[in-house]
Amino acid sequence: MTCDRCEAEAAFHHADVIDGRRREMHLCLRCAKQAGMVLPNEPPLLPLDAVVQNLIVSHVGELVGELARATCPECGQTYMGFRGQGRLGCPGDYQAFAKGLSNLIGRFHGATRHVGKRPKRSTLDCDRDRIRLRNRLRDAVAREDYETAAGLRDLLRPKDAD
Amino acid sequence: MNLDDLTRTSGEWLRGTGPESDIVMCSRIRLARNLNDFPFVGRAGRGEKIEIENSVKSALAKADASLEYLPLASANKLDLQFLVERQLISREHREADHPRGVAIGPNENISIMVNEEDHLRIQVMHSGLSLHDVWETINALDDRLEEHLPYAFSPQLGYLTACPTNVGTGIRVGVMLHLPALVQTKNIDKVFRALQKINLAVRGLYGEGTQAFGDFYQISNQQTLGKSELDLIKTVNEIVPQLIAYERQARQELVRERRQHLHDQVSRAYGVLKTAHTITSEETMLLLSHVRMGINLGLIYDLEIPTINELFIHTQPGHLQKLQGTPLAVDDRNTARASYIRKRLAAGGRTDA
Repeated sequence: MTCDRCEAEAAFHHADVIDGRRREMHLCLRCAKQAGMVLPNEPPLLPLDAVVQNLIVSHVGELVGELARATCPECGQTYMGFRGQGRLGCPGDYQAFAKGLSNLIGRFHGATRHVGKRPKRSTLDCDRDRIRLRNRLRDAVAREDYETAAGLRDLLRPKDAD
Repeated sequence: MNLDDLTRTSGEWLRGTGPESDIVMCSRIRLARNLNDFPFVGRAGRGEKIEIENSVKSALAKADASLEYLPLASANKLDLQFLVERQLISREHREADHPRGVAIGPNENISIMVNEEDHLRIQVMHSGLSLHDVWETINALDDRLEEHLPYAFSPQLGYLTACPTNVGTGIRVGVMLHLPALVQTKNIDKVFRALQKINLAVRGLYGEGTQAFGDFYQISNQQTLGKSELDLIKTVNEIVPQLIAYERQARQELVRERRQHLHDQVSRAYGVLKTAHTITSEETMLLLSHVRMGINLGLIYDLEIPTINELFIHTQPGHLQKLQGTPLAVDDRNTARASYIRKRLAAGGRTDA
């Protein structure tokens, strides 16, 4: 059997069922490694990044449906982006990608609820509007829309002065 | 802060004192924290990273934490390498090229990396096995910082972190162990496998993916969600005495069954270190590891553990070049290293006060 991505002989075979549809994957070692599908062969000193990548790929599989299009309204990070980098964009991503993350978190930690220390003062969700504002500011600067940028800067200023 | 002053000392966690310090080099806890009103570091723009840096700096001043802040964006390569060797910053923090820094506490017990993977990576280290003391220090520091920083926290998921593998408590509880006999008796893999089964990670001296230089290994928790900080500390705390017992058992086995070979190995290692004229960092680590075990087994009498601990650090490339006061090419480093070790050991192995 040849690799799904190149002409080489497939060495990695993977099948799973997502939303009732069976999906098969056949890759050569090189393509499988590129796709993060093969565990590096050094269990004792396993780099955490590889573990995370592997977990993401094996528990989320190929992206389908709404997760594939999910974007955090606060910071603009996409679920696709998280899947590639293994890092979230902002605290709001935990809500925006809850569907994809709960499996991964449950699997990695063996738990889904926090136990332990809590901050004495509560942080407010409205703090996070500022991430959205900063995000828009950055976009505005990038497209050289300085008028919008100035307005956004004004919105951000009073609170930053606290 | 003048890093050159730090060069001549070796950091409190290397003091070589504290409970079980012949095997447990140091205990360390780190907490990952993020500000609620900024994107995580990977997604933050340059301006935002500067704002994060400023918020943390001002919180540190208000919290009166008596830490000194070192901005790293303009730091030179040698200083960055030095901070890595000192365990004050991670290799990732060294490699980054965005606005970032590290706040360092008295005796180097405390370090707070700013704009590493998370906005704050707070770390406290003590010599020997003393996780509870470490927890008290870091918990109090975290409380003080929290009064001035809006931490990202969700009642369901706990402290929110850039990587979901740290979410919850954001805690990593670690001990650094010297396990030369388990390596020599080829039992170390068994230990690794056993630790993995109970969800503990094993890393080399300088963090993820690094090889175990000089038979030093860091054992730490992987799970951060669903168990309290004290429970996670307990898990590590309970396994360490077993590892210490295994290592002691392996040492006794070596003494019993291969005493002459062991004595020869330890003495040769000591001999090479005392007389070599050029030596690599790797060989140095290996030989120092043999000598360290030799001292602990009473096979070497005229040398103290703190001297060896100091040599482990001072012979690393960054330290060596800072001590020499000039950047050196690899060959020159190997010569300078051998000369430094010869002098240090000829001084009778006495440590500076």
